[in-house]
Amino acid sequence: MRARRRTGTRTVVTGVIGADCHIVGNRILQMALEEAGFTVVPLGIMVAQEEFVKAAIETNADAILVSSLYGQGELDCQGLRDKFEEAGLGRIHLVVGGNLVVGKQEWAEVERRFLAMGFDRAYPPGIDLRRVIEELRRDLGGPARDG
Amino acid sequence: MARWPTGREVDLDEAVAYQRGVPRHRNFALTVLRAKSEGITLAQPRGGFATVEEQIALLKALQDQGGADLLPLTTDSYTRNERFAEAEKGLAESVSAGRSLLNGLPLVNHGVKGVRRVTEAVEKPAMVLSGTSRPCLTAEVGLAGGATGFLGGGISYTLSYTKELPIAEGIRNYQYLDRLCAHYWEQGVPIHREQPGFLTGTLIPPGLGVAIAVIEPLLGAGQGLPHYSVGLGQALCLAQDVAALRALENVCREYLQRFGFGTTTLTIASHQWMANFPQDEAQAAGVIALGAAIAGTAGVTQVITKSVHEALGIPSPEVNAAGVRLTQQVLRMLERWRLPLDPEVETEEAMVAAEARAILDRARDLGDGDWARGAVRAVEAGVIDVPWSPSRFNAGKALPGRDRFGAVRYLAHGDIPLPPEVREHHRSKLAERSGGASSGMVSERLLADLTAVSRPVSGNFGPDGWRDFKDYADLLRR
Ligand code: B12
Repeated sequence: MRARRRTGTRTVVTGVIGADCHIVGNRILQMALEEAGFTVVPLGIMVAQEEFVKAAIETNADAILVSSLYGQGELDCQGLRDKFEEAGLGRIHLVVGGNLVVGKQEWAEVERRFLAMGFDRAYPPGIDLRRVIEELRRDLGGPARDG
Repeated sequence: MARWPTGREVDLDEAVAYQRGVPRHRNFALTVLRAKSEGITLAQPRGGFATVEEQIALLKALQDQGGADLLPLTTDSYTRNERFAEAEKGLAESVSAGRSLLNGLPLVNHGVKGVRRVTEAVEKPAMVLSGTSRPCLTAEVGLAGGATGFLGGGISYTLSYTKELPIAEGIRNYQYLDRLCAHYWEQGVPIHREQPGFLTGTLIPPGLGVAIAVIEPLLGAGQGLPHYSVGLGQALCLAQDVAALRALENVCREYLQRFGFGTTTLTIASHQWMANFPQDEAQAAGVIALGAAIAGTAGVTQVITKSVHEALGIPSPEVNAAGVRLTQQVLRMLERWRLPLDPEVETEEAMVAAEARAILDRARDLGDGDWARGAVRAVEAGVIDVPWSPSRFNAGKALPGRDRFGAVRYLAHGDIPLPPEVREHHRSKLAERSGGASSGMVSERLLADLTAVSRPVSGNFGPDGWRDFKDYADLLRR
């Protein structure tokens, strides 16, 4: 197992999963994370599960932030947690946000489905990124910035 | 035709013979051309679900409850990327879940027979909408299945929907598609070709949008197409949007004429707001209504509609149909009234046209007179630089913002060859923006513009509309 760095900046991987081309919110998220002091590894659009795992290993990331806007996230995200487990990163912090399912559906039910898939947190459409960053800081323990 | 087994069902001669038997009122090109000659604006929704049955129910709802003039066959995103095995799995899971897990119709998987069941179930013409740079198999199956239109362009879709695909390849794929459609025309079957002028949908400066929307029909005409439709996404600034649609038609006509395609018929499409929508349904309805007014008063031939569920997810057939009905109501009340050409609209139109011509002429020089080569080199040189593009081949130096009245201006224009008067116009319009409470974070300031129409309504002295603009001074200095 990789040793989690207790001090220093936190590294997070961002990317838009599957065959999804929506980059705008993902880029804003990347900028907001950087402005909050995180080191961001941006993978862009159309990222396969394996690419998230590979990037996590290569950069010794603390968390993976998955975007899915186009509705097929429910198909694309199946088995992502297992992929990390197979790579020995079973406990990595997994977050997902965007328009996760097809159509307007009850959020509580959608959230339940994604938590059951192994995500630590799931966020509804148009979420305030300040809240996301606050919760990420808390979840990863300690400030994102040095010192 | 070999990338998925249903491709083998396509027999081009049989498909042409089948299309010859499709009644004229179900032909997209003929319907659009008739509307153009009568000065009518047609309402056209988007939409697609996993199964043939759901798709038929959707199109019937759009036609019967929405009063749609034109109908969509929107494909799912696996199909768009030729990931047909995943589309098959998504289709199977949709069937067992009893709801669509795909964001569109996997029409290649359904094959020619499946698509014919859909197009034959309705009385309005249907077009394939498939945001893709690899349209070939989808077009072969879709057209053989009775679709009479195909949306897409080699520059626009490659820059807005892909990350790794070289522009030259996207252009080549669409040249094949245009050639296929021209073949149908030559056999007596009109096929409507259209490019998606909305690009990334995200604050596209209209001059840039026009330039791309001129090159794509030039490429299509070069493959033998006698008719082409071009469009722009709306910025929701009435004056700039109407001016841009006028400039689009005039500049496009001018270039078609200049380069030997004077007989090509041209129609104009206006896409209702393509970026971040308000979650509140009343506010969303306002956005749709203004969009109908923009299209109607500009006198375009097609308006592509949205629904009040836009911010949250793909709309149900009923909600989608309501968006069409809302649009038709506004169009009807306008009674084909056109926005008069006041000095402000005139100035905007001149600015959009000047910018478009500058980009076009530079692209043509770069290509030594060849538009395809010119487009590729213009992207390489950042002369064509689409804001918020996910493509790694896009320069990404241009950054748009809004002025005090919501018109789209360049905060930075990178290597886009803006004529001096256009640059000055944008600069002075941006300078009119009031200070307002400014956030220190660049991400928050960009987000404020991207989500300006989605802000909660809180009365005229609150942070409403685009009146409370943030200070862009330091972004402009960069
Ligand atoms: C702009 C847009 C486009 C542009 C995208 C340009 C680009 N390359 O980026 C274009 C026109 C190309 C496009 C295409 C399509 N789109 Co679109 N698009 C939108 C639209 C209007 C706005 C998205 C946006 O940019 N918002 C602005 C940014 C700032 O916000 P955001 O992306 O929503 O992200 C926010 C949060 O979600 C959060 N966030 C994002 N990622 C993450 C990740 C984490 C971990 C966290 C915590 C938070 C987070 O950060 C942002 C700030 O709040 C939305 C609808 C809407 N929201 O109004 C539809 C929408 C997302 N699109 C949709 C669809 C389906 C498509 C298509 C598949 C076409 C189709 N079948 O209709 C194609 C995509 C093809 C493909 N291969 O992917 C659907 C998805 C439906 C669903 N989930 O049920 C939507 C919701 C519209 C709708 N109601 O039908 N689209």
